[in-house]
Amino acid sequence: MESAVGTQPFAHRSEAEFAEILDFYGIRWEYEATVFPLTHHADGRVASRFTPDFYLPDVDLWVEITTIRQALMRQKRRKLQRFSALYPDLRIKLLGASDIKALMWKYHRSARGVVGPSGSTTPPRKRRERVGGAAA
Amino acid sequence: MSSIRSNNPHNDIEEVLIDDAAIQARVRDLGAEIASAYGGEEPLVLVSVLKGSLIFVADLMRAIPINVVIDLMEVSSYGGGNTESSGTVRILKDLSGTIEGRDVVIVEDIIDTGLTLNYLMGYLSGKSPRSIRIVTLLNKPARRLVDLKVDWIGFEIPDKFVVGYGLDFRETYRNLRYVGVLKRELYASALGES
Repeated sequence: MESAVGTQPFAHRSEAEFAEILDFYGIRWEYEATVFPLTHHADGRVASRFTPDFYLPDVDLWVEITTIRQALMRQKRRKLQRFSALYPDLRIKLLGASDIKALMWKYHRSARGVVGPSGSTTPPRKRRERVGGAAA
Repeated sequence: MSSIRSNNPHNDIEEVLIDDAAIQARVRDLGAEIASAYGGEEPLVLVSVLKGSLIFVADLMRAIPINVVIDLMEVSSYGGGNTESSGTVRILKDLSGTIEGRDVVIVEDIIDTGLTLNYLMGYLSGKSPRSIRIVTLLNKPARRLVDLKVDWIGFEIPDKFVVGYGLDFRETYRNLRYVGVLKRELYASALGES
């Protein structure tokens, strides 16, 4: 399987590590593949949206990675609850800092620089505005 | 905090999660359940995934009251020093015998993400066995990334760092007769914690 890890501009090092692990085990992935509308204004325009970090087509699973602050984790959880309510047929998994640490540990990697703000590979940026709304 | 381990492995255990008696009782039950699922003339093939399942398969095969043969496999793991060469899983130790047309049970010590087992299932399926099923001593569903049908589970365990009965921390603690939770200070530095 050809990897896109080297060319993919990941927002955080934890995402790059996760992609490398998937590559290693032959699990295909798509990064920020689809934007899901979560709420709408009265006129129908999308008010809030959610872009899961990864879609794994082989196992039909969406994955969101959050490794920084607990407050952000709570915000993500709320988004995921909304996502699951709106798209009940789609499976999504939230990987937090402890999950990433455990993955790093399992695979004999140091979690330093992978978990937390120091793992950012690019400045915080706005998500791409490619609104899809349907599962890939 | 120092991460130097004592020479007595029991001193490094925070709590015993599953004691020796509980493991042996469950292994006996698993052996009976596995035997009852097979009625073929050919011996059942147990494929032990090294190194963690070595203790488990040794006990399990003696608890299965039908003919079995054992084979061993070892695969490289991500970050285990083999990633630079190919960037993908490599078979470090392949099966010694053929499994074509045979009933196979993969014996695992623990299933968490399911990534290694998913790879193995694909690899072994390519060898045209009659059937492949999975038995694991421990199951940690909270960490699962790849859904797999696990046919027999010894124990569901919480998301804790466990060692013993074949499971290791830096290659030690495999010889403990129980499954225990390792003291956090021993692995905290590896998690990037001070």
